Amino acid sequence: MTHHEVEKYRKPIRVLHWIHSGAFVLLFLTGLILFIPGLGFLAEDSWTRVIHRIGAAIFVIIPIIYLVINPRSVGRGLKLAFTWSKDDIGWLKAAPRYYFLGDESSMPPQGEMNTGQKMWWFIVVVFGVLFVITGVIMAFAKESAPPAVLQWMVFIHDVSFIVSGAMLFVHIYLGVFHPLMTDAWSAITGGKVSAEYAKKHHGKWYAEVSKGKEEA
Amino acid sequence: MADKAILYDATKCTACRGCQVACKQWNENDEYIPPPSDPNGVPASNWGSYENPPDLSPQTWLKIRFTEIEAGGKVRWLFTRQACMHCTDAACVRVCPNGSLYHHELGFVAYNKDTCTGCGYCIDACPFNVPRSTRNIVTGIAKMDKCTFCTTQGLDRIAEGWEPACVKTCPTGALKYGDRDGLVAEGKKRVQTLQAAGWTNANLYGENELGGLHVLYVLDDYPAIYGLPVSPQISAATIAWKDVIQPVGWAVGGLTVIGLGMNWLVARANAKKEAK
Repeated sequence: MTHHEVEKYRKPIRVLHWIHSGAFVLLFLTGLILFIPGLGFLAEDSWTRVIHRIGAAIFVIIPIIYLVINPRSVGRGLKLAFTWSKDDIGWLKAAPRYYFLGDESSMPPQGEMNTGQKMWWFIVVVFGVLFVITGVIMAFAKESAPPAVLQWMVFIHDVSFIVSGAMLFVHIYLGVFHPLMTDAWSAITGGKVSAEYAKKHHGKWYAEVSKGKEEA
Repeated sequence: MADKAILYDATKCTACRGCQVACKQWNENDEYIPPPSDPNGVPASNWGSYENPPDLSPQTWLKIRFTEIEAGGKVRWLFTRQACMHCTDAACVRVCPNGSLYHHELGFVAYNKDTCTGCGYCIDACPFNVPRSTRNIVTGIAKMDKCTFCTTQGLDRIAEGWEPACVKTCPTGALKYGDRDGLVAEGKKRVQTLQAAGWTNANLYGENELGGLHVLYVLDDYPAIYGLPVSPQISAATIAWKDVIQPVGWAVGGLTVIGLGMNWLVARANAKKEAK
């Protein structure tokens, strides 16, 4: 048995992931206390809003920095996430049996991103943009925008919070707790996954990377 | 306990603004001339009216609004009390995330400034455009203020059995404080008197608006002429957000956690079986 490993996430991507997700968790928690009446006292005197704004600045600036440094990588990631094929439809059909019962018989081979990861990307991009637009209006146009506009901004911000917050639970669960996702944690911390894991979970992608290696 | 209320009779008001002063004095909201650097200050200004300050502010919870209208070739000079209306169905109480705004046992909307988070939801939800706040646009540090019906902690006149400061000081009897039912009856009687005297549009404002206001207005003309909203409503955004989206949020969050927990139990059991 070989302990061959493949690089799944390069270091800049991992750093981006952890700073961005750290900011999101900060934003999530400081926002959550306005959602739970029993925790509202924690927000007294606005200090959680100060933290929320610092988190928001990081949340906005870090992806922009990455976009400036490496626009090609961002373009490639977006292309991967938004390109769907019939294997993605197959994934959706096979997913319940796979994630509950571990039955991979009808699971089509997946690329570098599987369909679930693509959906998570879609949520991050779409609701991330909605968060930022509505948040900027609430933060800086509080005195100038019409009250009705501000109220609908809160509404959209909350819808984004509910969808992306619930999906964040799913994301953390799959990355850390699900019995089959054995290498997900090491992929986003150290960057590497075992060849076996790559073959099983990202068959198409593994075929691409290993092909180049064998020839070399 | 029977609800208490304030009855404001616009036809008896001389706009002396003693109520404005008494409100400021009792609630320790000193008037000050804000420097241009104070973004929250509402400076006094000469704009051709005795109405001053020009708007409510965190330091001005009550003011008399002056309205000039032309009717039958004559100018009419109308006065209206502008302050919290203390709604029974109060939008601000609905949207306040931690109960800093709440209904006093006597019916009006009390406020605990110490626990205010400064979110400003009440400012956008209020159908009467009453709450005001200090706000630092960069840090977001903010604090709301509005009329508390003289129930601010440490300055609570109502608990002492006294009338609110504005009522106490009113020299003409335009402001009265008492049981709401009694004041509704008194207001209706006054409206009848006015109508009999030729003010055919006279009406009592606040009896049924938003479940009943705790500040009632005797007016000798339509509310719109006095600058009052004709049928104030809780906004659609308030209802969509508080009564639809937030419960849905709890359901989605709860189902997600339950679903993941079930998945974990099933998937782990399967993984163990496979290992054996």
